[in-house]
Amino acid sequence: MNAIRRHAEENFIVLSLILLIVFFSWLSDNFFSVITLKTILNQLPALTVVTVGMTLVLIVAGIDLSVGSVLSLSATVIGVLVVGWHIPLPLACLAGIVTGLACGAANGALVAFFRLPAFIVTLGMLEMARGLAYIVNNSQTVYIGSSIQAIALPLPGVGVSLALLIAIGVVAAGHFMMTRTVFGRHLTAIGSNEQAARMSGIDARPHRLFVLALSGALAGLGGVFNAAYLGSADPNAGIGLELSAIAAAVIGGTSLMGGRGSVLGAFVGVLIISILQSGLAQIGVSEPSKRLITGAVIISAVLLDRWRQKHPQ
Amino acid sequence: MKDLRLSIRNLNKSYNVPVLKNVNLSIGRGEIHAIVGENGAGKSTLINVLTGLTPRDSGSIFLDGESYEPDSAGDGFAAGVSFTSQELSIVESLTVAENIFLRQLPRRHAIVDKSALHAAARALLDRVGLDYVATDSRAASLSLADRQLLEFAKAINAECRLLLLDEPTAALTEQQADRVHAVIREIAAQGVGVIYISHRLDDVLGVSDSVTVLRDGAVISTTAADSSSAADLVSLMTGGGVIRPRDLAATDAASRPALVVENMCTANLPDSVNLTCHEGEIVGIAGLAGSGKSELLRAMFRLDLLHSGQVIRHIKSETVQIQSARHAVRNGIGFLGENRQTMGIFPGQGVLTNMMLPDILRSAACTVDATVEKTVAKQLGKRLAIRYNSLQQDIRELSGGNQQKVLIARWLNAGSAVLLLDEPTRGVDVGTKQAIYELLFELRSNGNAIVIASSETDELMTVCDRILVLSNRHLVAEFNRGLWSEEEILSASFSAYTDNTMSEMSQSEGVQ
Repeated sequence: MNAIRRHAEENFIVLSLILLIVFFSWLSDNFFSVITLKTILNQLPALTVVTVGMTLVLIVAGIDLSVGSVLSLSATVIGVLVVGWHIPLPLACLAGIVTGLACGAANGALVAFFRLPAFIVTLGMLEMARGLAYIVNNSQTVYIGSSIQAIALPLPGVGVSLALLIAIGVVAAGHFMMTRTVFGRHLTAIGSNEQAARMSGIDARPHRLFVLALSGALAGLGGVFNAAYLGSADPNAGIGLELSAIAAAVIGGTSLMGGRGSVLGAFVGVLIISILQSGLAQIGVSEPSKRLITGAVIISAVLLDRWRQKHPQ
Repeated sequence: MKDLRLSIRNLNKSYNVPVLKNVNLSIGRGEIHAIVGENGAGKSTLINVLTGLTPRDSGSIFLDGESYEPDSAGDGFAAGVSFTSQELSIVESLTVAENIFLRQLPRRHAIVDKSALHAAARALLDRVGLDYVATDSRAASLSLADRQLLEFAKAINAECRLLLLDEPTAALTEQQADRVHAVIREIAAQGVGVIYISHRLDDVLGVSDSVTVLRDGAVISTTAADSSSAADLVSLMTGGGVIRPRDLAATDAASRPALVVENMCTANLPDSVNLTCHEGEIVGIAGLAGSGKSELLRAMFRLDLLHSGQVIRHIKSETVQIQSARHAVRNGIGFLGENRQTMGIFPGQGVLTNMMLPDILRSAACTVDATVEKTVAKQLGKRLAIRYNSLQQDIRELSGGNQQKVLIARWLNAGSAVLLLDEPTRGVDVGTKQAIYELLFELRSNGNAIVIASSETDELMTVCDRILVLSNRHLVAEFNRGLWSEEEILSASFSAYTDNTMSEMSQSEGVQ
């Protein structure tokens, strides 16, 4: 009973996800087709890893608006290194992730040690990283080629891509960190009541630095996945991605006020958003109506969550 | 009855425990009526009920013979009830003039009439003795004393029938207070009824016509001011200084120091403080609200910046100089803040998470052993008789007393040998209070060192080996168990407020 109650968060949205799948399968005969599944899974990895980072930032009552731009900066860095400098692909991917880490660490240092609001700092980084991405790529999309595309293609014998496997690994690690480690407990405490955490001897600053740096690094990893998916480095990639990540986290039961959130829930949130998008496209809903419905779903999710908070069990 | 400004009949108010009990009070036109009492006697609650900030439970209030039932401060203002609050209600980002007229800015159509605003503000500032403050300066630039005068100017700005003053002179020098008193008399002379609350008993007797003593929410006496003395009032406030004897077994470890504070000064504690708490000893910190009790405990836990001095933890033969709150926790010091909601609980988190936090901070392992954690939490819950449905239950669903027990359990679990407790029984029912006392005795006999700040003198007299008294941020007296009386402690608490030089010192310290 306790276990059920503890996982109520996840159970509830998993149920929503299943309902959504059933709903689209009922409306559209070929929703369960291999092509649909492939389309959905291929979109997933970048949004998934970015959402994991976002969820951790939201749990400590922060926000990271820069993830979309950092993702594109990481992708363009990889593009230039591979095409222009002929750096080996694995090294270039690592450089992309480190670029993201550097952006995130800069965010984190400004927020934690200079006490600037995360909203403003990451808004500034959103602009700066996007500008840098254009500068790095000369505002052009750089074609990288099939070498990087291998990351996004299904592995023979496994059926899913390396990117998806890594993304699922990141979700598992994030979930473990939040549920089982002392560090995760401290993040929850800081987000829930920073003053009380301080009086329990927990210093919020290194924690804040860590989550924002991690969010940056995961956005960098998202850049790798994005470049792999497209086969090229696009400086326009990831525009508005921060909003999708926040939406996925919130649908997954994460509070924007901090102190409450689930990495696993956020992943299901990603699935819900992706399936909603594909499902609506499948049944022939126009792009404007898709956006209308997606927005309504996000607000309904928060309303439902608020209602469940007031009426536990 | 006709010439009564205010008449209160059988007023009751309780938050879990009764705060005001069958209060009856009458104030005539032009009467200055002082209300005195210890902390928690119900003075501020009475003011809050009259302003409309707090709803009453039962009883009736008549203003000029008409029933007065305010639902909000707005209703109060509309009925002609004006007040100064102990927590100053100054908006720092606005100008001095805008603060005074916040409720009704002079306007031409929808546009603020600046010249009228500044002219009216100038007159009011000059009246209360703020002639050196420009009407267009930001309120943020004012010292604490100036802010208090600004709050007073704000209250007397509106046309009112009843003026409620809650500690209007707490931060003022004698000269400034005299000025305020003169203005109060002028206002009363126009027929306004005034309720005046102050810790400065000499001022109370000097300015008011009559004095009501509140104790534990009940009216003890109402007398004419010229037939009362400060000593009479203190005696009435304490109920004659009843000592509740309780023998505490001497603990053999009592000679070993556990926590030593040497020459400590902070922004809020101008005098250097020296204090030693021994193993197996409970040291009490007494003092009125705002006397620096919380600030002392915060500084000892290294939450506030020390201007000088040090906090040293003795562990067996070793000594450690405490550098930060984190360092304090690591060296076995626990801290219970005065405000459970903002400083203690993690809202939205379960009982378990709330209880286990500092322990996992101390553990070397990185992961949490869910089974061990649960077992320990259950044991602690049983030991402190905490009432909860499940360990996952949101802490906010627990009663105040049970929340407090969870927070104490947090530090027991952390194995803290030194506990700094700020108002540990605030807002806690009588049964839990007793349970907390018993727990403190048990910890004491186990050799824990405990420093407890409380505004309830009888609580300190029940649990402490020693009581230190803070008055106006200065350590003024120390009493040993058995050699104290409530009256002595209380008059020590008041001592630094009546002394002119002391007030001036606190004035010059001010707020930057």
